[in-house]
Amino acid sequence: MRGADYVVKRVAFAILTVFIAITLNFVLFRALSGDAISGLRCRQCSVAFKEAQRRNLGLDESRWVQYRLYLADLAHFDLGNSVPSEKPVRGELVEPIKNSLPMIALGTLFAIVFGTLVGVVAAWRRGTFADKGGLYTALGFYSMPTQWLGLMLIFFVANAIGLPSSGIKTPTLGLFADASTWALFSDRMKHMFLPALTLGLVLYGDYALIVRSAMLETLGEDYVLTARAKGLKNWAIVRSHGLRNAMLPIITLVALSLGFIIGGSITVEYVFSYPGLGLLTVEAIDKRDFPLLQAIFLLLTLSVIFFNLLADLLYFRFDPRVTT
Amino acid sequence: MSSRPPVIRVEDLHVWFALPGGGELHAVQGVTFELREGERMGLVGESGCGKTTTILAMMGLLPATASVSGKVILEGKDILIGGEETISPHRWNDIAMIFQGAMNAFNPVKTVGAQIAEPMVLHGLATRKGARLRVAELLDLVGISGDRADRYPHEFSGGMRQRAAIAMALACSPKVLLADEPTTALDVMVQAQILELLVSLSSTLGQELGLTVILVTHDLPVVAQVCDRTAVMYAGQIVEMAGMSEIYHDPRHPYSRMLFAATPDLLGDEEVASIPGAPPRLDREIAGCPFRPRCDSVFEPCATLSPPRREPVAGHEARCHLNDPALTEMAS
Repeated sequence: MRGADYVVKRVAFAILTVFIAITLNFVLFRALSGDAISGLRCRQCSVAFKEAQRRNLGLDESRWVQYRLYLADLAHFDLGNSVPSEKPVRGELVEPIKNSLPMIALGTLFAIVFGTLVGVVAAWRRGTFADKGGLYTALGFYSMPTQWLGLMLIFFVANAIGLPSSGIKTPTLGLFADASTWALFSDRMKHMFLPALTLGLVLYGDYALIVRSAMLETLGEDYVLTARAKGLKNWAIVRSHGLRNAMLPIITLVALSLGFIIGGSITVEYVFSYPGLGLLTVEAIDKRDFPLLQAIFLLLTLSVIFFNLLADLLYFRFDPRVTT
Repeated sequence: MSSRPPVIRVEDLHVWFALPGGGELHAVQGVTFELREGERMGLVGESGCGKTTTILAMMGLLPATASVSGKVILEGKDILIGGEETISPHRWNDIAMIFQGAMNAFNPVKTVGAQIAEPMVLHGLATRKGARLRVAELLDLVGISGDRADRYPHEFSGGMRQRAAIAMALACSPKVLLADEPTTALDVMVQAQILELLVSLSSTLGQELGLTVILVTHDLPVVAQVCDRTAVMYAGQIVEMAGMSEIYHDPRHPYSRMLFAATPDLLGDEEVASIPGAPPRLDREIAGCPFRPRCDSVFEPCATLSPPRREPVAGHEARCHLNDPALTEMAS
C-alpha cells in the first residue's frame, strides 16, 4: 500500500507529541505559584489540615516522584479527585463533554456547510454582487469577538424568536410530570441553538474566507482552463476539478480549528451559561481546582493532537503527492 | 489542395479586453484565415501580439473581461454565434488544444488516465470502461507505456506530461488541434519527437487522417520544421500569411523579413539581427501602419493609411503598402 510508513510515522509522531504534552501539562501546573491546597478557603482549613491534604495528594514528595505518580495514574486513566467536590475528575468531565460536543458539532457543521457554499459561490462569481455579499458578511462575522456576538444574539434575537438565552434545560421541564423524550430533545435543541449559532457564525466567516481564496487559487490553475476546453460545464468544473483541490487547505484548517474549538468555546459557553467543557474550565480556574484543570488541559491538547493527526491522514488520502 | 473545403475558417476576429482602469485593449484586430484538412499552419509573432488570444477566442475560452466579435466557422457552421451553448459541444470533440505550459494541464489529484478519459466520457464517445483501452492506445501513440495511465501527473517527467497532454488533446479525435507553444521548456530531443508526432498525426500518410494543426510559437525554426504555411502576427493583426517557403524566400512584409533575419543561424558567424523598438500599445487607436516606428522601409502613406490586406501573389497575403503598386509608384 502506498505509504504505510507515512501513516506509521504520523501516528508515532502524534504519540510522541502526546507524551510531550503530558509532561508539559505536569510541569506548567507545578510552575504556577500556589498549589491545589493553597486556594482552599474554609473554617476548618487550618495549616495542619492543609499539610495533611498535601501529604494526601502527594504534594510533599519531590517533583520527580510526583511526575512518576502522575504518569502511573494517567496510565490507569486516573485523573485524580476534584479538590472542592472530592469526586473523581473523570466523572466530573463526562457531563460537560456530553453537553459540549453536540453543540460544537452543530456549530461546526453549520460553518462548514455555509462557509464552503458561500466561499465556492463567491470564488466562482468573483467580483459580482454574490461575491461581495459573501465576502463582507464573512469578514464581518470573522472579525466579531465571539462573546460580543453571543451577547448581541441574546439581546436582540433570543427573545424575538422565543429561544432560551442561557442554560441547557428548562428548569421546570419534567419537574411535575414526566417529559416525553421528544420534549426533552427539543428543549435541548432550543438551548443548544444560540450557542451553536454564535460559534457557527464566527467559524463561518473564517471558513468562507479560506474556501474562497483556496477556490480562487484553484480556479486560476491551468488544469481548470483545460477542463473548460474539454467541454466541461461550470459546475462540473467546480465539482470535479475545483472542490477536490480547494478542499486540501480547507481540511487542514477545519481540523486545526476543530482541535482548538473544543477549548475555544469557553467564551460562548460562558456567555450562554452553557454547562459544557468551556464553562467547566472557567469554574475550575475560579476554584483553583488543579486536578480538574489539569485533566481539561490534557483533554484539549489531546484533541488538538488528534485532529492534527486526522488532518495529516486526510491529506494523505486526498493528495496523491503526499508521501513523506 | 484548394479543391477540399476548409475545415475551419476564422473571419474578421476581434478581441477587446476591458482594462481595470477603464478603456479597452484591442488585442486581436480583424484576424482572418482558413485551414483545410491536414494543413499545418504556424502562427508566429512576438509576445503580446495576440497569438494565444486568437486561439483562445476560437474555443471561447477567454475570460469574462474579453469581448469577441467575428466568426469561427467550423465545417460551415459559425460556432461563436450562440456563445457557450454553441461552442461547448465542439470543445475537444472537434477542436482540441495543447496549452502553453501543458505540463500544468493535469490536475495533480487525478490520475493521468482519468483525465485523458474525461472528455471521451463527457462527449459520450466512450464508457468509462471503454475509455481505458483508448487511453492506453493514445498513450502508446505518444510513446508512453499504456500501463502508466493509473499514475498521477507528479509521477511523470516534464516531457512525459507534455506528451500526455498531446494524448489528451487527441482523445476525442478532433479535427483541429490548437497547439500553443507545445515544445517550449522541453529539451531539443523531446521537442523533436513531439514535433515529429504532430507532423505524422496530420499527414494523410499516418494512421490518423488529416488532423489540422495550428501551431502557435515564436520559434521560427520549429514552424519551418512542422508547418506548410505561416501567419505572422503583429499588434493583433496577421501582417503576412503564405506558404512556408514563399514567406521565407520572398517576404512581402518588412516585419517578416526582419523576423527571419533575427533567427540565429547555426553555421553563420554574423551577429544576430534584432528589431529595435517595441510593439505599439493596443489600448488606443493606431494611425497608419502599426509597424511604422520600427520599419526600415517607411514611405509617405505609412503614416496616415492603415495598410489593408492585399494578395500580391496568389496564396500570399500581406498588410504592407509596399505591395500596392499605385502607392509605391507615387512615392518614387
